[in-house]
Amino acid sequence: MLRHRRLGFPEEACGGFVTGILIGQIIISIVLACIFLIRPSVTKGADWKILAFIGLCVLPVLCIVGGMNVHMQRSEQTQFCISCHAMEPYGRSLYVYDPAYVPAQHFQNHRVPADMACYACHTDYTIFGPLKDKLQGITRIYMQYVSTPPNPIRIKGGYNNNQCLHCHLGARSFESNAVHMAIMDSLTSNQMSCITSGCHDTVHNVAQLGHVKFWRPAQ
Amino acid sequence: MKLPLIGMKRFLRVSSGLIILGLLVEIVSLLWFHPLSFVLFAFISASLIGLGILVYLASLVFAAVPPVENRG
Repeated sequence: MLRHRRLGFPEEACGGFVTGILIGQIIISIVLACIFLIRPSVTKGADWKILAFIGLCVLPVLCIVGGMNVHMQRSEQTQFCISCHAMEPYGRSLYVYDPAYVPAQHFQNHRVPADMACYACHTDYTIFGPLKDKLQGITRIYMQYVSTPPNPIRIKGGYNNNQCLHCHLGARSFESNAVHMAIMDSLTSNQMSCITSGCHDTVHNVAQLGHVKFWRPAQ
Repeated sequence: MKLPLIGMKRFLRVSSGLIILGLLVEIVSLLWFHPLSFVLFAFISASLIGLGILVYLASLVFAAVPPVENRG
């Protein structure tokens, strides 16, 4: 993580506060559960029965929901994605000096939120998108720790143009480009890829990272 | 069907123990910033807490009917 800090990936902002509140709630749940672990006979009284229901059912359910929420939000962070060893070069590629590198250009110019750079370009923006991303992430964890991660990492089914068009479609700079307008149908239908059709084909290009210059942010 | 008091106590102890263990694992998963922390949370912590809740709810169901001699 230190290495990523040196590279300048933004820290978790309000996530720490939410995590703190959740941990407080968990501690309250633990204290209540400890009472029922040590003296279960207290639940004879009606008030204690209610407290037992809160301590052994309501609060734990809230802790699971809160924990899931924190983990889902955390998994959207750039720092989280590149904490996997196999993803580290992809994180470094965001600092390539050459503006032809599409992810680097987006990250460095804040065209995507810097603390959610991976997520912004790789989620499919559907209602179950974050859940699908999470399931894919578990597959990658399996590859990392049980089997062997592919090198280079390939996206199953290829990169979908909709992930580019989610932001660019309707933007003045995008639509004022005559080439974009001429091939718009092919782009929206995914018949022609934004990144493999010879137009924006320098993406992470991690194989060349040893031979490129890196940008270092001032702060 | 009503379980004897000792059975009820055991249910509550098992339920509390599972929930405490699950919550402690959840704290570890929240403090550990690593992709494996989600696996720890989803597969161990949530399972332990869920099991603890189920044991507690099971104890409520089995203890729900009051004994005949107390009705009145």
